[in-house]
Amino acid sequence: MAARPSASLSLLLAASAALLGTRSAQADDGGGTQGVGYRFNVYDEDALSAPIAEGDPRRYHVDTQQFSLNTGFGNRNTLSVNAVHEVMSGSSPWYLIPGPDNKPLEVLSGATIRDHRSAVTAALTHDNGGNDTRTFSASYSQERDYHATSIGAERTLPLNSALTLGFGGSFSHDLLRPTDALLYGRVERAQKNTASVFGSLSWVLSKDAVIESGVQFNYQSGFLSDPYKLVVVGETLEPDTRPDRRSEAAWLVRYRYAVNADAALHADARVAMNSWGQHSLTLETAWYQRLRDGWQLIPGLRYYTQDSARFYAPFLDSVNDRYFSSDYRLGGFGAISVNLDVRKRFGHWQLNAGAERYHAATDLALGGSDPNPGTVSYTRLFAGLDYQF
Amino acid sequence: MVWSPNMHRSLLLLIAVATLAGCATSPVQPWQRGRLARWDMRWDADPLRAAMDAHTYFSKEGTTGAIGAAGGGCGCN
Repeated sequence: MAARPSASLSLLLAASAALLGTRSAQADDGGGTQGVGYRFNVYDEDALSAPIAEGDPRRYHVDTQQFSLNTGFGNRNTLSVNAVHEVMSGSSPWYLIPGPDNKPLEVLSGATIRDHRSAVTAALTHDNGGNDTRTFSASYSQERDYHATSIGAERTLPLNSALTLGFGGSFSHDLLRPTDALLYGRVERAQKNTASVFGSLSWVLSKDAVIESGVQFNYQSGFLSDPYKLVVVGETLEPDTRPDRRSEAAWLVRYRYAVNADAALHADARVAMNSWGQHSLTLETAWYQRLRDGWQLIPGLRYYTQDSARFYAPFLDSVNDRYFSSDYRLGGFGAISVNLDVRKRFGHWQLNAGAERYHAATDLALGGSDPNPGTVSYTRLFAGLDYQF
Repeated sequence: MVWSPNMHRSLLLLIAVATLAGCATSPVQPWQRGRLARWDMRWDADPLRAAMDAHTYFSKEGTTGAIGAAGGGCGCN
Protein backbone atom coordinates (compact mmCIF):
# COMPACT_ATOMS: atom_id res chain seq x y z
CA MET A 1 0.00 0.00 0.00
CA ALA A 2 1.37 3.40 -0.89
CA ALA A 3 2.31 5.65 2.02
CA ARG A 4 -0.03 8.61 2.54
CA PRO A 5 1.51 12.09 2.71
CA SER A 6 1.69 13.77 6.09
CA ALA A 7 -0.79 16.53 7.00
CA SER A 8 1.72 19.32 6.43
CA LEU A 9 2.79 17.84 3.10
CA SER A 10 -0.88 17.54 2.14
CA LEU A 11 -1.40 21.23 2.81
CA LEU A 12 1.67 22.11 0.77
CA LEU A 13 0.54 19.92 -2.11
CA ALA A 14 -2.95 21.37 -1.90
CA ALA A 15 -1.63 24.90 -2.19
CA SER A 16 0.61 23.87 -5.11
CA ALA A 17 -2.20 22.05 -6.87
CA ALA A 18 -4.52 25.00 -6.45
CA LEU A 19 -1.94 27.41 -7.84
CA LEU A 20 -0.51 25.24 -10.59
CA GLY A 21 -3.80 23.65 -11.58
CA THR A 22 -5.65 26.92 -11.82
CA ARG A 23 -2.83 28.77 -13.52
CA SER A 24 -2.22 26.10 -16.15
CA ALA A 25 -5.92 25.88 -16.91
CA GLN A 26 -6.16 29.64 -17.17
CA ALA A 27 -3.15 29.81 -19.46
CA ASP A 28 -4.75 27.22 -21.72
CA ASP A 29 -8.35 28.27 -21.82
CA GLY A 30 -8.57 31.82 -20.59
CA GLY A 31 -10.42 31.21 -17.34
CA GLY A 32 -8.92 34.05 -15.32
CA THR A 33 -11.30 35.74 -12.93
CA GLN A 34 -9.77 39.24 -13.13
CA GLY A 35 -10.10 41.38 -16.19
CA VAL A 36 -12.41 43.46 -18.33
CA GLY A 37 -14.92 42.35 -20.92
CA TYR A 38 -17.23 43.74 -23.59
CA ARG A 39 -20.08 42.07 -25.51
CA PHE A 40 -22.43 43.28 -28.21
CA ASN A 41 -25.65 41.24 -28.37
CA VAL A 42 -28.38 41.31 -31.00
CA TYR A 43 -31.76 39.84 -30.02
CA ASP A 44 -34.34 39.56 -32.79
CA GLU A 45 -37.81 38.05 -32.42
CA ASP A 46 -39.48 36.39 -35.40
CA ALA A 47 -42.44 38.18 -36.93
CA LEU A 48 -45.71 36.48 -36.06
CA SER A 49 -46.44 33.90 -38.75
CA ALA A 50 -50.06 33.32 -37.69
CA PRO A 51 -52.69 35.76 -38.99
CA ILE A 52 -53.05 38.82 -36.79
CA ALA A 53 -56.08 41.01 -36.30
CA GLU A 54 -54.29 44.34 -36.11
CA GLY A 55 -50.90 45.94 -35.57
CA ASP A 56 -47.41 45.41 -36.86
CA PRO A 57 -46.29 41.72 -36.95
CA ARG A 58 -42.64 42.70 -36.51
CA ARG A 59 -41.83 42.06 -32.87
CA TYR A 60 -39.05 43.02 -30.51
CA HIS A 61 -35.49 43.79 -31.55
CA VAL A 62 -32.94 44.56 -28.82
CA ASP A 63 -29.31 45.63 -29.17
CA THR A 64 -27.44 45.14 -25.91
CA GLN A 65 -23.96 46.21 -24.88
CA GLN A 66 -22.37 44.64 -21.82
CA PHE A 67 -19.29 45.81 -19.94
CA SER A 68 -17.61 43.99 -17.07
CA LEU A 69 -14.74 44.66 -14.69
CA ASN A 70 -13.39 42.15 -12.18
CA THR A 71 -10.46 43.25 -10.09
CA GLY A 72 -8.84 42.27 -6.83
CA PHE A 73 -7.92 44.78 -4.17
CA GLY A 74 -6.77 44.77 -0.58
CA ASN A 75 -6.33 41.41 1.02
CA ARG A 76 -8.60 38.73 -0.51
CA ASN A 77 -11.23 41.14 -1.90
CA THR A 78 -12.69 41.12 -5.41
CA LEU A 79 -14.81 43.86 -6.93
CA SER A 80 -17.07 42.95 -9.84
CA VAL A 81 -18.91 45.63 -11.81
CA ASN A 82 -21.24 44.91 -14.72
CA ALA A 83 -22.95 47.56 -16.82
CA VAL A 84 -25.61 47.05 -19.48
CA HIS A 85 -27.13 49.38 -22.03
CA GLU A 86 -29.82 48.18 -24.39
CA VAL A 87 -32.02 49.73 -27.05
CA MET A 88 -35.39 48.10 -27.68
CA SER A 89 -37.75 48.61 -30.61
CA GLY A 90 -40.66 46.82 -32.29
CA SER A 91 -44.18 45.80 -31.43
CA SER A 92 -45.54 43.83 -28.51
CA PRO A 93 -48.66 41.64 -28.03
CA TRP A 94 -51.48 43.85 -26.73
CA TYR A 95 -54.56 41.62 -26.47
CA LEU A 96 -56.36 38.74 -28.21
CA ILE A 97 -59.73 38.71 -29.93
CA PRO A 98 -61.92 35.77 -30.97
CA GLY A 99 -61.39 34.88 -34.63
CA PRO A 100 -62.98 32.32 -36.94
CA ASP A 101 -63.98 29.16 -35.01
CA ASN A 102 -63.32 31.12 -31.82
CA LYS A 103 -59.54 30.83 -32.36
CA PRO A 104 -57.66 33.74 -30.76
CA LEU A 105 -56.16 36.37 -33.04
CA GLU A 106 -53.37 38.62 -31.84
CA VAL A 107 -53.65 42.39 -31.71
CA LEU A 108 -50.21 43.93 -31.51
CA SER A 109 -49.13 47.44 -30.73
CA GLY A 110 -47.78 49.44 -33.67
CA ALA A 111 -44.03 49.18 -34.18
CA THR A 112 -43.61 52.41 -32.28
CA ILE A 113 -42.10 51.12 -29.06
CA ARG A 114 -38.62 52.55 -28.72
CA ASP A 115 -37.00 52.53 -25.33
CA HIS A 116 -33.63 52.04 -23.76
CA ARG A 117 -32.50 50.46 -20.52
CA SER A 118 -29.35 51.08 -18.52
CA ALA A 119 -28.33 48.92 -15.60
CA VAL A 120 -25.34 48.56 -13.33
CA THR A 121 -24.53 45.80 -10.84
CA ALA A 122 -21.66 45.85 -8.35
CA ALA A 123 -20.57 42.97 -6.14
CA LEU A 124 -17.86 42.88 -3.50
CA THR A 125 -16.53 39.47 -2.47
CA HIS A 126 -14.29 38.79 0.48
CA ASP A 127 -12.54 35.41 0.31
CA ASN A 128 -11.44 33.91 3.61
CA GLY A 129 -9.84 31.03 1.72
CA GLY A 130 -10.95 27.45 1.22
CA ASN A 131 -14.31 28.33 -0.38
CA ASP A 132 -15.34 30.53 2.58
CA THR A 133 -16.62 33.70 0.89
CA ARG A 134 -18.95 36.61 1.63
CA THR A 135 -20.47 38.64 -1.22
CA PHE A 136 -22.47 41.85 -1.03
CA SER A 137 -24.15 43.19 -4.16
CA ALA A 138 -26.31 46.06 -5.34
CA SER A 139 -27.92 46.86 -8.68
CA TYR A 140 -29.90 49.62 -10.36
CA SER A 141 -31.83 49.41 -13.62
CA GLN A 142 -33.50 52.33 -15.36
CA GLU A 143 -35.91 52.60 -18.27
CA ARG A 144 -38.16 55.47 -19.26
CA ASP A 145 -41.05 53.84 -17.40
CA TYR A 146 -39.35 51.44 -14.98
CA HIS A 147 -36.79 51.73 -12.18
CA ALA A 148 -35.49 48.76 -10.17
CA THR A 149 -33.13 48.86 -7.20
CA SER A 150 -31.86 45.76 -5.46
CA ILE A 151 -29.41 44.67 -2.77
CA GLY A 152 -28.18 41.17 -1.96
CA ALA A 153 -25.84 39.16 0.25
CA GLU A 154 -24.43 35.66 -0.21
CA ARG A 155 -22.20 33.36 1.81
CA THR A 156 -20.39 30.15 0.92
CA LEU A 157 -19.16 27.99 3.75
CA PRO A 158 -17.17 24.75 3.47
CA LEU A 159 -18.68 22.02 5.65
CA ASN A 160 -15.91 19.50 4.96
CA SER A 161 -13.49 18.66 2.14
CA ALA A 162 -16.35 17.62 -0.18
CA LEU A 163 -19.34 19.75 0.79
CA THR A 164 -19.84 23.51 0.51
CA LEU A 165 -22.95 25.26 1.80
CA GLY A 166 -24.23 28.40 0.09
CA PHE A 167 -27.00 30.70 1.25
CA GLY A 168 -28.14 34.26 0.83
CA GLY A 169 -30.93 36.66 0.05
CA SER A 170 -31.86 39.75 -1.88
CA PHE A 171 -34.48 42.48 -1.94
CA SER A 172 -35.67 44.48 -4.94
CA HIS A 173 -37.87 47.56 -5.09
CA ASP A 174 -39.33 48.39 -8.52
CA LEU A 175 -41.13 51.58 -9.52
CA LEU A 176 -43.40 51.74 -12.60
CA ARG A 177 -44.51 54.91 -14.39
CA PRO A 178 -46.23 53.66 -17.58
CA THR A 179 -46.06 55.92 -20.62
CA ASP A 180 -49.25 57.45 -22.08
CA ALA A 181 -51.06 56.54 -18.87
CA LEU A 182 -53.77 59.19 -19.18
CA LEU A 183 -54.29 58.55 -22.91
CA TYR A 184 -54.86 54.80 -22.45
CA GLY A 185 -56.28 54.77 -18.91
CA ARG A 186 -53.25 52.97 -17.47
CA VAL A 187 -52.14 53.14 -13.88
CA GLU A 188 -49.98 56.29 -13.56
CA ARG A 189 -47.61 55.12 -10.88
CA ALA A 190 -47.15 51.79 -9.10
CA GLN A 191 -44.53 49.78 -7.27
CA LYS A 192 -43.64 46.24 -6.39
CA ASN A 193 -41.23 44.54 -4.00
CA THR A 194 -39.46 41.21 -4.33
CA ALA A 195 -37.79 39.36 -1.46
CA SER A 196 -35.70 36.32 -2.29
CA VAL A 197 -33.76 33.72 -0.30
CA PHE A 198 -31.75 30.73 -1.49
CA GLY A 199 -29.73 27.85 -0.10
CA SER A 200 -27.47 25.38 -1.90
CA LEU A 201 -25.13 22.48 -1.29
CA SER A 202 -22.27 21.69 -3.67
CA TRP A 203 -20.66 18.30 -3.53
CA VAL A 204 -17.32 17.10 -4.95
CA LEU A 205 -18.24 13.61 -6.21
CA SER A 206 -14.83 12.69 -7.64
CA LYS A 207 -11.71 14.31 -9.05
CA ASP A 208 -13.69 14.77 -12.28
CA ALA A 209 -17.22 15.57 -11.12
CA VAL A 210 -19.09 17.99 -8.92
CA ILE A 211 -22.81 18.47 -8.33
CA GLU A 212 -24.81 21.26 -6.74
CA SER A 213 -28.40 21.29 -5.55
CA GLY A 214 -30.20 24.40 -4.38
CA VAL A 215 -33.57 25.99 -3.71
CA GLN A 216 -34.76 29.56 -4.15
CA PHE A 217 -37.91 31.16 -2.76
CA ASN A 218 -39.26 34.50 -4.00
CA TYR A 219 -42.12 36.57 -2.63
CA GLN A 220 -43.48 39.46 -4.68
CA SER A 221 -46.02 42.03 -3.59
CA GLY A 222 -47.45 45.18 -5.14
CA PHE A 223 -48.52 45.89 -8.72
CA LEU A 224 -47.76 42.67 -10.60
CA SER A 225 -50.03 43.26 -13.62
CA ASP A 226 -48.72 44.39 -17.02
CA PRO A 227 -49.95 47.96 -17.52
CA TYR A 228 -49.55 47.67 -21.32
CA LYS A 229 -51.77 44.62 -21.82
CA LEU A 230 -55.55 44.31 -22.14
CA VAL A 231 -58.06 41.46 -22.06
CA VAL A 232 -61.24 41.12 -24.10
CA VAL A 233 -64.15 40.49 -21.71
CA GLY A 234 -67.39 40.14 -23.66
CA GLU A 235 -67.73 43.34 -25.66
CA THR A 236 -65.28 45.39 -23.59
CA LEU A 237 -61.53 45.72 -23.14
CA GLU A 238 -60.31 45.44 -19.55
CA PRO A 239 -56.81 46.05 -18.19
CA ASP A 240 -54.64 43.02 -17.39
CA THR A 241 -55.49 42.26 -13.74
CA ARG A 242 -53.35 39.90 -11.66
CA PRO A 243 -53.11 39.16 -7.92
CA ASP A 244 -50.97 41.59 -5.95
CA ARG A 245 -48.94 38.78 -4.40
CA ARG A 246 -46.96 35.92 -5.87
CA SER A 247 -44.85 33.26 -4.17
CA GLU A 248 -42.35 31.28 -6.23
CA ALA A 249 -40.19 28.26 -5.43
CA ALA A 250 -37.51 26.63 -7.56
CA TRP A 251 -35.32 23.59 -7.08
CA LEU A 252 -32.15 23.37 -9.17
CA VAL A 253 -29.47 20.74 -9.76
CA ARG A 254 -26.23 21.48 -11.62
CA TYR A 255 -23.65 18.87 -12.61
CA ARG A 256 -20.16 19.35 -14.06
CA TYR A 257 -18.05 16.50 -15.40
CA ALA A 258 -14.50 16.77 -16.76
CA VAL A 259 -14.67 14.19 -19.53
CA ASN A 260 -10.94 14.42 -20.26
CA ALA A 261 -8.19 17.02 -20.28
CA ASP A 262 -9.90 18.97 -23.09
CA ALA A 263 -13.64 18.56 -22.57
CA ALA A 264 -16.28 19.11 -19.92
CA LEU A 265 -19.99 18.32 -19.75
CA HIS A 266 -22.50 20.66 -18.09
CA ALA A 267 -26.00 19.42 -17.20
CA ASP A 268 -28.57 21.56 -15.33
CA ALA A 269 -32.16 20.91 -14.30
CA ARG A 270 -34.75 23.16 -12.65
CA VAL A 271 -38.27 22.60 -11.38
CA ALA A 272 -40.20 25.76 -10.51
CA MET A 273 -43.71 26.61 -9.40
CA ASN A 274 -45.60 29.66 -8.25
CA SER A 275 -48.78 30.55 -6.38
CA TRP A 276 -50.49 31.58 -9.62
CA GLY A 277 -50.66 27.90 -10.55
CA GLN A 278 -47.73 27.70 -12.95
CA HIS A 279 -45.24 24.80 -12.94
CA SER A 280 -42.17 24.56 -15.13
CA LEU A 281 -39.32 22.22 -15.95
CA THR A 282 -36.00 23.31 -17.48
CA LEU A 283 -33.31 20.95 -18.77
CA GLU A 284 -30.05 22.34 -20.09
CA THR A 285 -26.79 20.82 -21.26
CA ALA A 286 -23.57 22.10 -22.82
CA TRP A 287 -20.33 20.58 -24.03
CA TYR A 288 -17.09 22.57 -23.54
CA GLN A 289 -14.49 21.38 -26.05
CA ARG A 290 -10.96 22.77 -26.15
CA LEU A 291 -9.30 22.60 -29.59
CA ARG A 292 -5.83 23.44 -30.93
CA ASP A 293 -4.30 26.93 -31.03
CA GLY A 294 -6.49 28.43 -28.31
CA TRP A 295 -9.86 27.65 -29.93
CA GLN A 296 -12.86 26.48 -27.92
CA LEU A 297 -16.22 25.26 -29.13
CA ILE A 298 -19.27 25.18 -26.85
CA PRO A 299 -22.51 23.71 -28.24
CA GLY A 300 -25.56 23.68 -25.96
CA LEU A 301 -29.19 22.59 -25.82
CA ARG A 302 -32.05 23.79 -23.58
CA TYR A 303 -35.64 22.62 -23.12
CA TYR A 304 -38.27 24.54 -21.14
CA THR A 305 -41.93 23.78 -20.50
CA GLN A 306 -44.53 25.61 -18.43
CA ASP A 307 -48.25 25.36 -17.86
CA SER A 308 -50.81 28.15 -17.61
CA ALA A 309 -51.55 30.41 -14.69
CA ARG A 310 -55.01 29.61 -13.34
CA PHE A 311 -56.38 33.00 -14.45
CA TYR A 312 -54.86 32.93 -17.97
CA ALA A 313 -57.33 33.03 -20.84
CA PRO A 314 -56.96 34.38 -24.39
CA PHE A 315 -60.32 36.19 -23.93
CA LEU A 316 -63.41 35.91 -21.76
CA ASP A 317 -67.16 35.97 -22.42
CA SER A 318 -67.82 37.48 -19.01
CA VAL A 319 -66.00 38.24 -15.78
CA ASN A 320 -65.91 35.00 -13.78
CA ASP A 321 -62.90 35.80 -11.65
CA ARG A 322 -61.25 38.80 -10.00
CA TYR A 323 -58.13 38.19 -12.06
CA PHE A 324 -57.57 37.72 -15.79
CA SER A 325 -54.65 38.01 -18.18
CA SER A 326 -53.98 37.03 -21.79
CA ASP A 327 -50.21 37.60 -21.49
CA TYR A 328 -48.54 34.77 -23.43
CA ARG A 329 -45.96 34.41 -20.63
CA LEU A 330 -48.75 33.23 -18.33
CA GLY A 331 -50.06 30.71 -20.86
CA GLY A 332 -48.74 27.21 -21.41
CA PHE A 333 -45.93 26.56 -23.89
CA GLY A 334 -42.71 24.69 -24.40
CA ALA A 335 -39.45 25.96 -25.88
CA ILE A 336 -36.32 24.43 -27.37
CA SER A 337 -33.16 26.41 -27.88
CA VAL A 338 -29.85 25.44 -29.41
CA ASN A 339 -26.70 27.49 -29.10
CA LEU A 340 -23.11 27.47 -30.21
CA ASP A 341 -20.30 29.60 -28.78
CA VAL A 342 -16.76 29.98 -30.13
CA ARG A 343 -13.79 31.38 -28.21
CA LYS A 344 -10.28 32.15 -29.43
CA ARG A 345 -7.46 33.07 -27.11
CA PHE A 346 -4.62 35.49 -28.05
CA GLY A 347 -2.32 35.86 -25.04
CA HIS A 348 -4.22 37.96 -22.52
CA TRP A 349 -7.00 38.62 -25.02
CA GLN A 350 -9.94 36.43 -25.84
CA LEU A 351 -12.45 36.78 -28.67
CA ASN A 352 -15.96 35.47 -28.00
CA ALA A 353 -18.84 34.91 -30.39
CA GLY A 354 -22.02 32.91 -30.21
CA ALA A 355 -25.52 32.32 -31.48
CA GLU A 356 -28.76 31.00 -30.02
CA ARG A 357 -31.94 29.93 -31.79
CA TYR A 358 -35.02 29.76 -29.48
CA HIS A 359 -38.35 28.36 -30.63
CA ALA A 360 -41.45 28.31 -28.43
CA ALA A 361 -44.78 26.67 -29.25
CA THR A 362 -47.77 25.23 -27.42
CA ASP A 363 -47.20 21.76 -28.88
CA LEU A 364 -43.74 21.67 -27.26
CA ALA A 365 -45.31 21.87 -23.79
CA LEU A 366 -45.32 18.67 -21.75
CA GLY A 367 -48.87 17.39 -21.81
CA GLY A 368 -49.92 19.95 -24.43
CA SER A 369 -51.44 23.36 -23.88
CA ASP A 370 -54.38 25.56 -24.75
CA PRO A 371 -53.98 28.08 -27.61
CA ASN A 372 -51.31 30.71 -26.93
CA PRO A 373 -50.61 32.58 -30.19
CA GLY A 374 -48.18 35.07 -28.65
CA THR A 375 -45.38 32.57 -27.99
CA VAL A 376 -42.06 33.97 -29.09
CA SER A 377 -39.25 32.59 -31.22
CA TYR A 378 -36.02 34.50 -31.59
CA THR A 379 -32.41 34.50 -32.76
CA ARG A 380 -29.67 35.91 -30.57
CA LEU A 381 -26.11 36.69 -31.69
CA PHE A 382 -23.20 38.08 -29.72
CA ALA A 383 -19.55 38.97 -30.15
CA GLY A 384 -17.06 40.49 -27.76
CA LEU A 385 -13.59 40.76 -26.38
CA ASP A 386 -12.15 39.98 -22.94
CA TYR A 387 -8.81 41.06 -21.49
CA GLN A 388 -7.44 39.21 -18.49
CA PHE A 389 -5.05 40.93 -16.09
CA MET B 1 -48.17 20.23 -17.95
CA VAL B 2 -49.84 17.93 -15.40
CA TRP B 3 -47.89 16.96 -12.28
CA SER B 4 -48.75 13.39 -11.62
CA PRO B 5 -47.78 11.38 -8.51
CA ASN B 6 -45.40 9.44 -10.78
CA MET B 7 -43.47 12.62 -11.60
CA HIS B 8 -43.12 13.45 -7.90
CA ARG B 9 -41.92 9.91 -7.20
CA SER B 10 -39.38 10.22 -10.02
CA LEU B 11 -38.01 13.45 -8.56
CA LEU B 12 -37.68 11.89 -5.10
CA LEU B 13 -35.93 8.90 -6.66
CA LEU B 14 -33.51 11.24 -8.46
CA ILE B 15 -32.67 12.99 -5.18
CA ALA B 16 -32.14 9.64 -3.41
CA VAL B 17 -29.87 8.32 -6.18
CA ALA B 18 -27.81 11.53 -6.20
CA THR B 19 -27.49 11.40 -2.40
CA LEU B 20 -26.42 7.76 -2.36
CA ALA B 21 -23.99 8.35 -5.22
CA GLY B 22 -22.39 11.15 -3.21
CA CYS B 23 -22.10 9.00 -0.07
CA ALA B 24 -20.48 6.22 -2.05
CA THR B 25 -17.56 8.31 -3.25
CA SER B 26 -14.23 8.41 -1.47
CA PRO B 27 -12.87 11.81 -0.42
CA VAL B 28 -11.04 13.70 -3.18
CA GLN B 29 -7.68 14.86 -1.97
CA PRO B 30 -6.56 18.46 -2.53
CA TRP B 31 -3.82 17.41 -4.99
CA GLN B 32 -6.46 15.63 -7.11
CA ARG B 33 -8.50 18.76 -7.79
CA GLY B 34 -6.69 20.15 -10.81
CA ARG B 35 -9.56 19.31 -13.19
CA LEU B 36 -12.18 20.71 -10.81
CA ALA B 37 -10.31 24.04 -10.83
CA ARG B 38 -10.56 24.38 -14.60
CA TRP B 39 -12.45 27.26 -16.16
CA ASP B 40 -14.84 24.96 -18.00
CA MET B 41 -15.88 23.30 -14.71
CA ARG B 42 -17.29 26.48 -13.17
CA TRP B 43 -21.02 26.77 -12.47
CA ASP B 44 -21.16 29.84 -14.73
CA ALA B 45 -18.16 29.49 -17.01
CA ASP B 46 -19.05 32.66 -18.95
CA PRO B 47 -20.69 35.18 -16.57
CA LEU B 48 -21.58 37.73 -19.29
CA ARG B 49 -23.34 35.10 -21.35
CA ALA B 50 -25.05 33.71 -18.25
CA ALA B 51 -26.30 37.21 -17.39
CA MET B 52 -27.80 37.67 -20.87
CA ASP B 53 -29.37 34.20 -20.75
CA ALA B 54 -30.97 34.91 -17.37
CA HIS B 55 -32.26 38.31 -18.49
CA THR B 56 -33.74 36.91 -21.72
CA TYR B 57 -35.45 33.90 -20.14
CA PHE B 58 -36.73 36.05 -17.24
CA SER B 59 -38.33 38.38 -19.82
CA LYS B 60 -39.97 35.71 -21.96
CA GLU B 61 -40.95 32.90 -19.58
CA GLY B 62 -43.46 32.75 -16.74
CA THR B 63 -41.33 31.18 -14.01
CA THR B 64 -37.93 32.03 -12.56
CA GLY B 65 -35.40 30.65 -10.13
CA ALA B 66 -31.63 30.36 -9.81
CA ILE B 67 -28.95 29.58 -7.26
CA GLY B 68 -27.82 32.98 -6.04
CA ALA B 69 -29.19 36.42 -5.22
CA ALA B 70 -32.16 37.25 -7.50
CA GLY B 71 -31.25 40.86 -8.42
CA GLY B 72 -33.61 43.53 -9.73
CA GLY B 73 -36.39 43.35 -12.28
CA CYS B 74 -37.12 45.09 -15.54
CA GLY B 75 -40.14 46.25 -17.51
CA CYS B 76 -39.40 43.76 -20.27
CA ASN B 77 -42.11 43.02 -22.81
